[in-house]
Amino acid sequence: MNTIAIILVIALTIFTIGLSVFSRRFTRTTADFYLAGRKVGSFANASAISGDYLSAASFLGVAGAVYASGLDGVWYAAGFAGGFMVVVLFIASALRRFGEYTVADFAFGRFGSNRIRLLTVVAVLITSLFYMAPQMFGAGTTWQVLVGQGIFGLDAYTSGVIVVAAIIAFYVSVGGMKGTTMNQIFQFWWLAFAMILVVVFAFGSGFKYPTALADESAQPIVNTKAYTVAELTAPDANGVTPYDKAAKIMTAEELAKVDEFIAAGSDGKIPVAFNAGNKLHELRDMLFREPGHRYNTFDQFSMVLALVLGTAGLPHILNRYYTNPSGKAARRSTFWVLVFIGTFYILAPIAGLAGLGIIRDYLAGGGTINAATVHGLLVKPDQIMPTLGEILGGQWLMGIVTAGAFAAMFSTVGGLLIAAASALGHDVYEKYINKGATEAKRVAFGKASVLVFAGVALLIGLAIPKFGLDQAYPALIAMMVTWAFSVGASAFVPMLLTGIWWKGTTERGATAGIAVGLSSAILIIFLNILQQLGHVGKEGILGFFGALTFPVLFTFPLAVLTIIIVSKIDGQLPKNVDAIWMRIHGTASERHEKQHGLDKVGSMFSGGKK
Amino acid sequence: MGDTTDSATQVQHGDHIDTIESVDLVFRAQRKLSFTYGAVFFAVTLAIPALSVWWKSWYAVPIWGGFTANYLFVSLLYYVFLWTMAWAYSKQADKLDDRLSTMADEITARTTGEEA
Repeated sequence: MNTIAIILVIALTIFTIGLSVFSRRFTRTTADFYLAGRKVGSFANASAISGDYLSAASFLGVAGAVYASGLDGVWYAAGFAGGFMVVVLFIASALRRFGEYTVADFAFGRFGSNRIRLLTVVAVLITSLFYMAPQMFGAGTTWQVLVGQGIFGLDAYTSGVIVVAAIIAFYVSVGGMKGTTMNQIFQFWWLAFAMILVVVFAFGSGFKYPTALADESAQPIVNTKAYTVAELTAPDANGVTPYDKAAKIMTAEELAKVDEFIAAGSDGKIPVAFNAGNKLHELRDMLFREPGHRYNTFDQFSMVLALVLGTAGLPHILNRYYTNPSGKAARRSTFWVLVFIGTFYILAPIAGLAGLGIIRDYLAGGGTINAATVHGLLVKPDQIMPTLGEILGGQWLMGIVTAGAFAAMFSTVGGLLIAAASALGHDVYEKYINKGATEAKRVAFGKASVLVFAGVALLIGLAIPKFGLDQAYPALIAMMVTWAFSVGASAFVPMLLTGIWWKGTTERGATAGIAVGLSSAILIIFLNILQQLGHVGKEGILGFFGALTFPVLFTFPLAVLTIIIVSKIDGQLPKNVDAIWMRIHGTASERHEKQHGLDKVGSMFSGGKK
Repeated sequence: MGDTTDSATQVQHGDHIDTIESVDLVFRAQRKLSFTYGAVFFAVTLAIPALSVWWKSWYAVPIWGGFTANYLFVSLLYYVFLWTMAWAYSKQADKLDDRLSTMADEITARTTGEEA
């Protein structure tokens, strides 16, 4: 039992809850609950955005993806950071100037129909669920490494998912956006601290970046995957079985365990290791420093687009821009975000690369870890960070890292729950169900929405291993987050970009664009999942779309074209289009605020005084 | 901002008024700035996978230890590019805001003066 590490995680959790309870006294209005009273300064907001943004995908997933896939994994980090350029260049100032609560409010204010507001709410909820799923998966896998056993008769994975969902639901519903903002600020700096420590310890243990990169690229990347007996002995189109591939690189001792598993006709799955193929340059060995482990030519471009466009389609990130006091502050926040997360993303791939040699040497020296391994490699690459912490710094570093992993999940799921609660509470309840609701009732509905959505996230988290997704993809957390990016990039970003920059966008055009982008992205993602699970073949039109790991290269232009074509055909601009245009691009409000000093940052803690 | 009024032709916040003419001016200037930087950003960002697919010296030849140009750019230099872009854009956008604020007030004064 990792007692010290567990105590550190519990301490972080108690502190997190304490912050939420402390902030409760400052959460009195819906503006407080959803937007922290619009008084968050650039540096604080940048820290909070970074905490919100750096999810389990960044803290666990990027290092895991690099560990499993080399350069293709490094792209996650670069793309996650690059996405903020799109936000700062095209969206941040206009969104802040428009001055509403949510993305759905923007859609309604810009296009003036209930239909587009409700469709946007649906898209927000779906995108949030796609983003929450990998956080919940991260909770389960991190618990497996940290605690290694379940509670109340449950297995370790299920226990982790349930405990994390319950804690986040509690602190978000208690603290609202102010509590969540304070937690996100704290959690970002904890994450950065943990990541820096791991990398410093890695360098301290003798790791040399350029040399390690050369060493790990001296032979092909090795994949790990768990198979049943039937899967292990089933030949592919070339007559080669997974067992044959494994036999080429696994040691006699390792292979003997597999032989024993097959001979006994055992139930369940056994992990094996085999050389990876190169999907981009098929005739080349798949080396760590080269592209092609995960992505073919189409996906190389589509992944980059998904990541850089997807950030602008994440509802919990867009919501944060409404908390800035001015457009200038919004830009300043984004610059600081890029500095913070850029530094973090430079370090995460170093941890992933360092982990390869450090874990292999540790296991070869007779060391043991909680995480499952084969051929000196983790079966679940997403467990790299806590495992590395344990090997490099014992329980203390493991505790700091694991607390960082939970902090990443808390902050991101917290932001997503607020976004989902905003969508349900503000966009649906306040606008359609109970228009005359008192402030107290509105906040209560927002809190109830948080609890409901946390419950749904919990169920999805529990379902992931049941459907075998954790075995279908080598670095599932980063992959699933990129799906959320793909959905957001296809559903929201075309509407936001055209709504902000093209006056001729009509309500019908924007609605059609959201519907087409959302449905096509979801359809292709599910086809890809079904293909990976073996339910959809690789032939025909379904096979083609199922092979697209990331749909954005196809779905983003499709949604933009839909908006343009339908808007041109429709031609019915809102009657007050000039007034709307002045609201998006007008500067009278900012000039007025600047003249009277209202663009200055206030205090997040001013709501407590009556 | 208690003294805010909206109409089809202008929006007023205190002493400051937006007219469709002043807003169009702001819009065009902001569009030029954002799309110029956007073009540079997307050109560089999409050049990386393009080079990864088609230029062997970029993705396969080590230039420093195990670093290829591709790995070095994606893991380190791309962030320097992003920081530089974001800083330069923020500065230029701030300057543009200040310049446009003055111009918007001038246009508004001229427009409202003509109407009076």
